[in-house]
Amino acid sequence: MRRTLLLAAVVLTALLLQTTVFADIRLLGARPELVYLLTICFGVLEGPASGAVAGFVGGMAQDFLLSQPKGITALALTLVGYAIGMLRQYIVSPSPVLPVFLVAGGTFVGVLFFGVVSFLLGQLDTTWLYLFRVSALSAIYNGILTPLLFPLLRRAAEGSRSRRIVRW
Amino acid sequence: MALRNRARSTRVLVVTLVSASLVTITVDYRQGDSGPLAAAGDVALAIISPLQEAVSKVTDPIGNFFSTLVRLPSIRRENRELKEEVAALRQEVSTTQADLSRLAQLEDLLGLQQSLGPKLETTAAQVIANGVSNFEWTITIDKGSGDGLVLDMPVVASAGLVGHIVRVGPSSAVVQLIIDPDSAVAGRLDSGETGLILGAGGGDLRMGLVDSTAEVLPDEKVVTAGYRIAGVAQSLYPPNVLVGTVSRVLPDDAALEKSITVRPAVDFSTLNLVLVVLAGGSSG
Repeated sequence: MRRTLLLAAVVLTALLLQTTVFADIRLLGARPELVYLLTICFGVLEGPASGAVAGFVGGMAQDFLLSQPKGITALALTLVGYAIGMLRQYIVSPSPVLPVFLVAGGTFVGVLFFGVVSFLLGQLDTTWLYLFRVSALSAIYNGILTPLLFPLLRRAAEGSRSRRIVRW
Repeated sequence: MALRNRARSTRVLVVTLVSASLVTITVDYRQGDSGPLAAAGDVALAIISPLQEAVSKVTDPIGNFFSTLVRLPSIRRENRELKEEVAALRQEVSTTQADLSRLAQLEDLLGLQQSLGPKLETTAAQVIANGVSNFEWTITIDKGSGDGLVLDMPVVASAGLVGHIVRVGPSSAVVQLIIDPDSAVAGRLDSGETGLILGAGGGDLRMGLVDSTAEVLPDEKVVTAGYRIAGVAQSLYPPNVLVGTVSRVLPDDAALEKSITVRPAVDFSTLNLVLVVLAGGSSG
């Protein structure tokens, strides 16, 4: 129950920040993709199952605010959350910058995947150049924001656990 | 054993979620704007827009302060230029007013319908949020169906054309900007040539379907054409609203149409207050 509430609160905050504050603070015209960021962080912190659920919930929430066919972001993010969660299990690295690279890489692939699915549904009206540019820029932007937001998300995720687990 | 079970249950979970996403995509794609999913989207809009309004009320002054600080030198220069422009425009207004009254007299004399039409009836709205994705150029405003807004109403700002309403909630509405790649506006150049102005994402607009023999100069103004074919079709936008100025004309003698880019008159990144055109748009 606590986890559900936490996830809802985090997703809502991310969407609010993305549409208000970060609408004005852009990196070469691109906004961060905060819902991608939090999905990947959940995948890293809590494993593939939580990553997939966070991606699905966050993606659906974002989709219902878009006027495109709903579900594309949810599809992309479910897969990203699961993939990052699986990947994390095979990486043995104590490096604190690991989440930065996972977030940047995951965002790039995720946004690109979103663009390709939108294209297949006839919903991508931009050029491929724009798609690549936005994928790269939002990946960099998300990477920059990770050191700020990852510790917050980690604290929130650990605080909501029913039993304490040793931190990785 | 337990580990393998957990891995399997995770896989089942992911397959379930992916299937749910695919079903959502398919259902929504087939039903378009009328299905239950679109209605759910309107509910989501109604829930989030008061929150967005609250957040932007708090963050806007802070953001404004910092952006002003950064832009201070250019603002000084802009201020001086604007003062000069105001002086020039005042001069122009006084002569225009004389012209207008003369035009009205002449039209009266000839029994013509008033070409200038009645003034547009508008309502002001505050921008409370931008679109959520990097692939949609929209803004959310703080007026909705409760204020008499309906789909497809044109939206303008003091500088020029902004876009039209694509979604309406009870107290908020989503406006598709003219820079969205889905947007198309019938435009007319100063010279009288008409064409179709298409959004191209972040950059300048593209104007197509302009006769290749037409002479088009940079800095030429582009306004909405406001087509109206009685009983058949009608442009969403009122006529003679400034869209932007021609920024580039690509020399291409072989093409059947001219390739023109248009710089929008409105700076969409600093848009704060807009006017929704309620009526009187196409009566010209």
